[in-house]
Amino acid sequence: MRVARTGEDYRVSFAAMATPCEICVQTEDRALAGQLGRAAQQEALRIEHKFSRYRGDSVVGRINASGKDGLLVDAETGALLDFAEECHKASDGLFDVTSGVLRRAWQFDGSDRLPDRARIAALMPLVGWSKVRWRRPRLRLLPGMEIDFGGLAKEYAVDLVLRLLTSITGEPVLVNFGGDLRVSGPRKGNAPWHVAIESVDKAGTAAGMIQLLSGALATSGDARRFLMHGGVRYGHILDPRTGWPVEDPPRSVTVAAETCVEAGMTATLAILRGPGAEIFLKEEGARAWCIR
Amino acid sequence: MTRRLSIALTLIALAPLTSACSGIGPSPWEKDLMAKPEMQVDSYAVLAAAEDHVYFSREASSGGRGFAGGGCGCN
Amino acid sequence: MQLKTRRRGRVRKRIAKLSAGLLAASLAGQSRDAAAQYDTGSNDNFGPGIAYSQLDAALLIYQEPGGRVSATEPTLDLSVHGADGRELSLGFVADAVSGATPNGAVPSTLPQNFVTPLKAVGSTATLTSASGGSTIIHLPPTPGQLAQAALGRQYTVAADTLPVDKGFRDHRGAFNFGWAQPLGEITEVGFGGGYSRETDYQAITSNAHITQNLNSNNTTFSLSLNGELDSSFPFGGIPTPLTVMNAQWKSPTSRDKTQLGFVAGWTEVMTRWWLTQLNYAFDAQSGYQNDPYRVISVVDPASGQPNSSLYESRPEKRQSQSLFWDNKIDLDPAVTELSFRYYTDSWGIRSKTAEISENVPLGQSFYLEPSGRWYQQSAANFFHYFLVGSQPLPQYASSDFRLGAFTGITYGAKIGYHINGRSEFYLKGEYYTQMGNRHPADAFGQLKQQDLFAGTNAAVIFAGYTWDFH
Repeated sequence: MRVARTGEDYRVSFAAMATPCEICVQTEDRALAGQLGRAAQQEALRIEHKFSRYRGDSVVGRINASGKDGLLVDAETGALLDFAEECHKASDGLFDVTSGVLRRAWQFDGSDRLPDRARIAALMPLVGWSKVRWRRPRLRLLPGMEIDFGGLAKEYAVDLVLRLLTSITGEPVLVNFGGDLRVSGPRKGNAPWHVAIESVDKAGTAAGMIQLLSGALATSGDARRFLMHGGVRYGHILDPRTGWPVEDPPRSVTVAAETCVEAGMTATLAILRGPGAEIFLKEEGARAWCIR
Repeated sequence: MTRRLSIALTLIALAPLTSACSGIGPSPWEKDLMAKPEMQVDSYAVLAAAEDHVYFSREASSGGRGFAGGGCGCN
Repeated sequence: MQLKTRRRGRVRKRIAKLSAGLLAASLAGQSRDAAAQYDTGSNDNFGPGIAYSQLDAALLIYQEPGGRVSATEPTLDLSVHGADGRELSLGFVADAVSGATPNGAVPSTLPQNFVTPLKAVGSTATLTSASGGSTIIHLPPTPGQLAQAALGRQYTVAADTLPVDKGFRDHRGAFNFGWAQPLGEITEVGFGGGYSRETDYQAITSNAHITQNLNSNNTTFSLSLNGELDSSFPFGGIPTPLTVMNAQWKSPTSRDKTQLGFVAGWTEVMTRWWLTQLNYAFDAQSGYQNDPYRVISVVDPASGQPNSSLYESRPEKRQSQSLFWDNKIDLDPAVTELSFRYYTDSWGIRSKTAEISENVPLGQSFYLEPSGRWYQQSAANFFHYFLVGSQPLPQYASSDFRLGAFTGITYGAKIGYHINGRSEFYLKGEYYTQMGNRHPADAFGQLKQQDLFAGTNAAVIFAGYTWDFH
């Protein structure tokens, strides 16, 4: 964990959920910055370890290893499953937390190696929320199915960490986990936070600047994870109905909303609509920024 | 007397570990094993109480985990 | 660039509502102290901030060989955990004990008679066979004694056998309750009490405790105070210590004992796989400590034959201290528990205990846990196997084998089955052995050929069921 002074702020940075994480607090108090950073790091790692699909002993690991009787999940996991189920319905099946098994076929490493269709077809029977028996608190999956909270975990962590930090201090704070961020409120003197939206082609350069007085921002896109084949760019967001990446999505969608979970889910739903992303966002009245 | 001395030495040796500054001991995300019921000291309280009751009725010593005394007339 | 607020569409409205609901669901879980998320004190997968209850039912069956004591004890414990860390616990115990228990006298090459008061004073007793092997006798009223005590119970013990009273039978019922909750910055405070009642004994207990977690919940300090008021009201009244065993109805009819003590504890998560706990306990008791049914033989100084039995006498005050060290070590796949206890008290008793158990998972749902315990105690300074007739009576004397020197080894094995994430059934069998000096050096005459150690082995079975639910 590193603490650095930038202008009027202290920035605490650490790594969690395979993402660079940053807490920014407008204060003179270095000790407070350290305390906030430690609290944020603990909570981020708690969520990472609880929902990581790479750890056999995490909740997700145990879900994915559970047998035909399924298992009983705790309240927090139950709440996330309820949320995933409702979002599945709200998106007409586009958002699906069971699509994680498809990563066995897809590696988004910037290369041109596409998986062969037979492989995808073999995995498709394992995808589909309708095959899940979820009745709180018991979750039952078909053998081989998996739950992947990857599309939710970061935004969820941002919201929980922000609430945790605002319970510790009244100073203005910004929580930023790899581009998904949320602020406690305006900076001192009712000044806005300035957030740069990263360019999709040149990492590290800004494509635009947003002024944020409250709420959250989440970005969905293929800037870092994609495959390039035959001149066609395949983003990493997969359509659970086909097993293939969504066709013709925007390269990046940034959405502003009250909470990071809401912003993230709206951005994901937009991308899942491919060419209809901008229309969806406009019809829904979302505050969004798309890059094609 | 020797026994009491060795117990006192054990306590002194362990004393530095009781410092209240954070950073001693595993970090919160390293305590996954501690959540297991087998690693809790009080997971099978009913069984422990029943065993303590049996020992209390056969032996002169009592207590250890909780308080001494039995609450029954068996000793 | 400033983003403007616009009217929300149908999907966005729904997502906004769902997001708010998701975050509210975890609201109860967060507390001011992030470290509290990792409370190792409560074992549950329900997560913080969730109310749930736990029910524990168990049955203990205890059996000593050769017609000695046997007991059955069912227990029920219920704890209700509130969402904010508050906890209410209730417990109920019942037990039924019967069988023969040593009365404290030494065996003899000749048969011996013992007399005790009858249960019902001043009535024509219809003696049921519950007293097993005894007869009603009519006693001539002794001048100065109450005329009521015209009936007594006499039993005869055969030659060369340990004198036991077979008429021992009792029932007990007890309940206890406890309340615990966080208080301001303090991790937990709590109090509780209990009441136990059997035919000839009653105990009222109370306790209070305070616990504090520090150091990201790696360190826990705890202090508990406990007090107890016991009343003994034996059949036949309270005998005067060191008087001859007789069937008279005695007075007073009851006597009390008070106990006050504290336990100071330190628990530490040493490493990811090692938890340690150190407890120091102090206890002070004052009042009636005697076993009103126990006697000690006075033997003939030449032959070693028991001539009479005197009611035992123990000091009224007893202070004790103990140090207990427990370790839980998780070395994949088994979890080891290793504990030691050192005990000493003002009666001159010192004891050492060492216990070990290994919890070995078998597949997904079963586990096997073999265990062993070694215990050794020294005799109380007023313990005597017998008293010699020619010597002056000491102030205190007891031949209760539980106050004598012995070594006890327990062999145990437990098997458990996790029915699902929150229910478990377990079965444990234990065999206790007690080994004491059967032929103390000061035995003489006929005592040299007798087995003077009254301790015995025992077999125990526990069956238990745990159930967690919302």
